[in-house]
Amino acid sequence: MSTEILANLSLAVQKGRAKDVEALIAQGLAEDFTAQQLLEDGLLTGMNLLGVRFKNNEVFVPEVLIAARALNKGTLLLKTQLVEEGVKPIGTVVIGTVQGDLHDIGKNLVRMMLEGSGFQVIDLGVDVAPETFVEAVREHKPQIVALSALLTTTMGSQRGVIEALEGAGLRGTVKVMIGGAPITEAYANEIGADAYTADAASAAQMAKSLVAA
Amino acid sequence: MTGKERIARILRREPVDRIGIHEHFWGDTAKGWKDYLNGEGNLERFWDLDVCECWPLNLVADLDAGSVIVAEDENTATYYDGNRATLRKHKFKDGTPEHVDFFVKDRENWEAWAKPLLLAGALDRRINYAAYEQSRQIANEDGRYFVLSGVNVFELMTYLCGHENLLAGMALDPEWVADMVDVYSRMIVEAQTRLIEKSGLPDGIWFYDDLGYKEHPFLSPGMYDELVLPGHKRTMDFAHALGLPVILHSCGFVEPLVPGFIEAGVDCLQVIEIKAGMDLLKLQRLYGDKLCFMGGIDARVICSNDKALIDAELEAKIPVMKQGGNFIIHSDHSVPPTVKPEIFRYYLERAAALGKY
Repeated sequence: MSTEILANLSLAVQKGRAKDVEALIAQGLAEDFTAQQLLEDGLLTGMNLLGVRFKNNEVFVPEVLIAARALNKGTLLLKTQLVEEGVKPIGTVVIGTVQGDLHDIGKNLVRMMLEGSGFQVIDLGVDVAPETFVEAVREHKPQIVALSALLTTTMGSQRGVIEALEGAGLRGTVKVMIGGAPITEAYANEIGADAYTADAASAAQMAKSLVAA
Repeated sequence: MTGKERIARILRREPVDRIGIHEHFWGDTAKGWKDYLNGEGNLERFWDLDVCECWPLNLVADLDAGSVIVAEDENTATYYDGNRATLRKHKFKDGTPEHVDFFVKDRENWEAWAKPLLLAGALDRRINYAAYEQSRQIANEDGRYFVLSGVNVFELMTYLCGHENLLAGMALDPEWVADMVDVYSRMIVEAQTRLIEKSGLPDGIWFYDDLGYKEHPFLSPGMYDELVLPGHKRTMDFAHALGLPVILHSCGFVEPLVPGFIEAGVDCLQVIEIKAGMDLLKLQRLYGDKLCFMGGIDARVICSNDKALIDAELEAKIPVMKQGGNFIIHSDHSVPPTVKPEIFRYYLERAAALGKY
């Protein structure tokens, strides 16, 4: 059992080569790697390395998109074995673009990076009302709620979600991360969010540190 | 000095009386300012801005399809457009629509459906000659710098396929994207040629192509150079051949792409989105000898309605920028209705005073 296969799997994700991922997973399973090894030391390692390069402006959205597609292909192939092995995600994140805002590109990139870091992500989509976030927290019991807003005219809705979580008595059960073009650290502090990050890769890193804390 | 003279001279780096002044507003803003505007629907005229724009071209794939509403709720409408894109938009607010789905996701439907429609001729039907001629006349009467505005290749491709399909396509099938850039850039040039031949020259051409978002461009400088620059260069070479300067609008953080913009032929970069990470004064240091700038005033500061904050923003930027003789003040995107009109007037008056030579 050569660990070269894990390195190749990581590389295939970073290059967005979905067919290579498929072949390497078949090979890995045939060589008695566990699904958890292939996931964590191959697929997720590749996505994490790409995330660092993305944050440093060494790779850009096209590369992240095709890497995410390759990663999804791989995790789909491993799904049954992961359940059999009892492998669980490192945490659950409920994510959405806040009410009044229909932008989804930034939110989708964060979702991809979170999935690439081993999170289960419940994507509520765009234009999500505060009460929908509350319902999703009740249903999925996430560790993190991630709120996106692109516009100066909609960033106020992030505060509305935090207030709705407080009103429902759920604020203490989740960490709230916020992001989006007009958002700053100062604004996050002002509205009582737990974390602000400027880009998708940083959001995934922050989410990992929040669940580890 | 009229706005027309002022902007023309700024873009040629010739001396002017003050910095240029221009602005964009969200659609809701005029509604919110209705009483203050006292019936004047032309905001460029009301605020005596230096530039007047006209958007006369329609490069949607199927001109006859129109927009068909397929679902509706209290606040939003989901519609199907002439690019066979399914989009959802707020009924009462401006903004980019949600990308629900796209018929053209890859080369297959581009070649089978969109490309043949775009190349089918009937270019005249894509051009609103009357609107252009009317705007041009009003701009001339008012002494404003008249620009022929429209989107360029990247934005056109996102309308057709959506960002995710397009950007993934750039990595997986660059020849497909290059073909779209080729078709769209030729169409822009052909339509503008026809329009200008029939209805006269504008003072400049203003292209809109949002190539960035927060802290990052959508694509690498290398990918821009390989795939988008040829389309930009073709359309900008056309403008320059007619002696027309080119303004390029891009939202988002596009600093890494600026050398490519200069190579393509951009004369003035707009909108310098501070909240996305752009730094107006840094750009002036790095590229002020090659580019003019329009924008870079943090809209969040204007939105604060706080005169002291506005003073600080203007005083930090205008004295530096005016030294280059290459600056047209503008917010870093658009002015929303939350800005009080009295405060916006204060902002313009302070900018004009500080920007006087």
